[in-house]
Amino acid sequence: MVTGDGPHGGGPHIDVETVSFSYPEHPVLREVSIAIGRGDFLGIVGPNGSGKSTLLRVIDGLLRPESGRVLLDRRPVLEHSRRELAQAVALVPQHFSLDFDFTVQEVVEMGHYCRQEGDARACATAAMETLGIGALAERLFPHLSGGEKQMVILAQALAQQPDVLLLDEPVSALDVAHQLEFFDCLQRLNADGMTIACVLHDLNLALHYCRTLLMLSDGRVAAYGPVAEVLVPDTIDAVYGVHAHVHHHAGRSFLTFSPRLRAERRERVHLVCGGGTGAALMRDLYQLGFAVSAGAVNALDSDEITGRDLGMPMAVEAPFTVLSEEVHRENLELIDRAHVVILTDVPIGTGNLRNLDAVRHALKRGAAVWVVADLPSRDFTGGRADLDLPGARQFDSVADMVAELRERAASGRPSGLS
Amino acid sequence: MRRPEGKGRGVVILLALAFLLLSFFLCVALGATSISFSEVLQYLGSGSASDDPSGTIFWQIRLPRVLLAFIVGACLSVAGCVLQGMLLNPLTDPYVTGVSSGAALGAAIGIVTHIAIVPWLPILALIGGMLTLLVVYSFSRRHGQVNIFVLLLAGVTISQLLSAVIAVLMLKAGRDVHQLLYWLLGSFSGRSWTEVQIALASIPFLVVPFFFAKELNIMLQGEQRALELGVDVERVKKVLLVVAAVLTAIAVSVSGIIGFIGLVMPHLARLVIGPDHRKVLALSMVFGAAIMALSDLAARTIIAPSELPVGVVTTFFGAPLFVYLLRSKRGPRW
Repeated sequence: MVTGDGPHGGGPHIDVETVSFSYPEHPVLREVSIAIGRGDFLGIVGPNGSGKSTLLRVIDGLLRPESGRVLLDRRPVLEHSRRELAQAVALVPQHFSLDFDFTVQEVVEMGHYCRQEGDARACATAAMETLGIGALAERLFPHLSGGEKQMVILAQALAQQPDVLLLDEPVSALDVAHQLEFFDCLQRLNADGMTIACVLHDLNLALHYCRTLLMLSDGRVAAYGPVAEVLVPDTIDAVYGVHAHVHHHAGRSFLTFSPRLRAERRERVHLVCGGGTGAALMRDLYQLGFAVSAGAVNALDSDEITGRDLGMPMAVEAPFTVLSEEVHRENLELIDRAHVVILTDVPIGTGNLRNLDAVRHALKRGAAVWVVADLPSRDFTGGRADLDLPGARQFDSVADMVAELRERAASGRPSGLS
Repeated sequence: MRRPEGKGRGVVILLALAFLLLSFFLCVALGATSISFSEVLQYLGSGSASDDPSGTIFWQIRLPRVLLAFIVGACLSVAGCVLQGMLLNPLTDPYVTGVSSGAALGAAIGIVTHIAIVPWLPILALIGGMLTLLVVYSFSRRHGQVNIFVLLLAGVTISQLLSAVIAVLMLKAGRDVHQLLYWLLGSFSGRSWTEVQIALASIPFLVVPFFFAKELNIMLQGEQRALELGVDVERVKKVLLVVAAVLTAIAVSVSGIIGFIGLVMPHLARLVIGPDHRKVLALSMVFGAAIMALSDLAARTIIAPSELPVGVVTTFFGAPLFVYLLRSKRGPRW
């Protein structure tokens, strides 16, 4: 549970209290409650149609919730006049068009409208300086690039001199460099005390820049809390229906995603692989709809990483360790459930010698066994290995195996593997 | 086209005022009886009617007619400018609200019932226009908000309906049909100081939009964005709709339905000075006044001693100009 207190102290700045909102016969928000602390950097994520933009518009008093209410500094937003609200809260919209030849300076000055006093020109200039776009001042707005326009709209919002910035997918039309530049600006503003609530799609941007994260799913709060606690694979899987993988690299975390693939065919293929010889095959088989397992492999081997990403059952040994009896047994259990066992062109050394025993076990059980030909050339055991695999079908390469499997999958033959 | 900035902007406004002054002198001087430049200055200097015949023509015919054309041109241009900006629609003219048809019906009733004596005709027209505004406006209000699309549709629909009624009146009008036709096409023929006095009622309504220029600028980003930036959009819409409708009703009541001025002048002004309403309103007002007076000059001299309806002249020159603007690369940005 997140308390409303931000790092800058004080009570909650914006209270969203059990807000529900519907368009006619179409509920969009269902009893959403959050408390945004002063100085927070909140990200709002969720699949398309989950109610993110609607929530922003309810917070900004542009939509009247069906039930519940939004408080800004303990006073309902709907009791503020538009002008008062614009002085406290600025919204950066998702869509913005202005096809008239106003200069950037004039466009930014429009943000100052809600302030009845003060020098609009100076205020606009200051806003542009903050964002480093002072050089654009005399350019005509319609002639700007998408990235420049987005910065100008942000400047227009800053010219309102608000305490809170609400942003609705501000960077979804920008290239990666402009995205980072834009968010770096937001981060600086936040460091200077601006409260920020930003709808965004890119979970990696959320992970890097946001402090708190709200994940909406079908109008409900699916998760709400510190960003690292919300962006965990289980939550992402439940809300988006994709596999998420958290990686840590050079002191930063980032996420990658893969589609949640379901084995549509009953045939199970077991790969005896390692050293990256199975990774491509794993993905190909998944895409063809086979259930895939693998073993035995060492942890952090690239085949093991790919298999883990795909969420497949594997027999895994510790890194750089000879396969133990225990892992070997796990591997045999997986093989017992497989219809076909593939031995890739993985080199055989003393460490994974047991994998040949596993393949022979499969042959004994009568499973189909496919082997990449010329096994002796991959034997690095100095003659200790028993390379005799009677009854195994020889293929020239892994690619040939895939070709045959693809053909069989396409022809829809129910169990054409043996 | 580069927008005039700083000094350039001042020059544009000076040029526009010079144009207005020039059109004034041309319009009072030229006609069936020519009045020389020095006579014009002399009449203006003496400040009162004189006995000599060209003095009477100047004071009783030319001057009120030119002033009326100035005011009507200004009213239609400002109304068009306000509506185009507010509705974000380049094809909007002051007549979309249906007010003009209401005014026309009022006038048509006045003409066929022969109570068409000054000042009853303009007053009937004004009443017709305001009643139409009331109907269209109440149609488009829902939950305290004015729905612009409903307003436009209601305006166009009522306009068509009233035109049908006018058509029936025309069939029954007999020998009044000529007068009715001139009225429907717009004319300043035979207008006197009485109409000028009625038209002067528009002056406060001509001023109001300037106080909303900032709001109009912001609303060019769309109503939604204007709300986000703190504009009380509903209030602005209500005030400006009523102002534009009143300006239209006043213009139509004294001159009939004169086309194209309200549509084209705001575009011309925007083209010359950029989109900022603080300047566009001023410039389209000046353009509208000057070009209306010049159009009237053409209307009464081209086929002299007969007169063309001025609406025919404005349309004749306005339509090609508008097509040119639309096709021109420097044309209106929408």
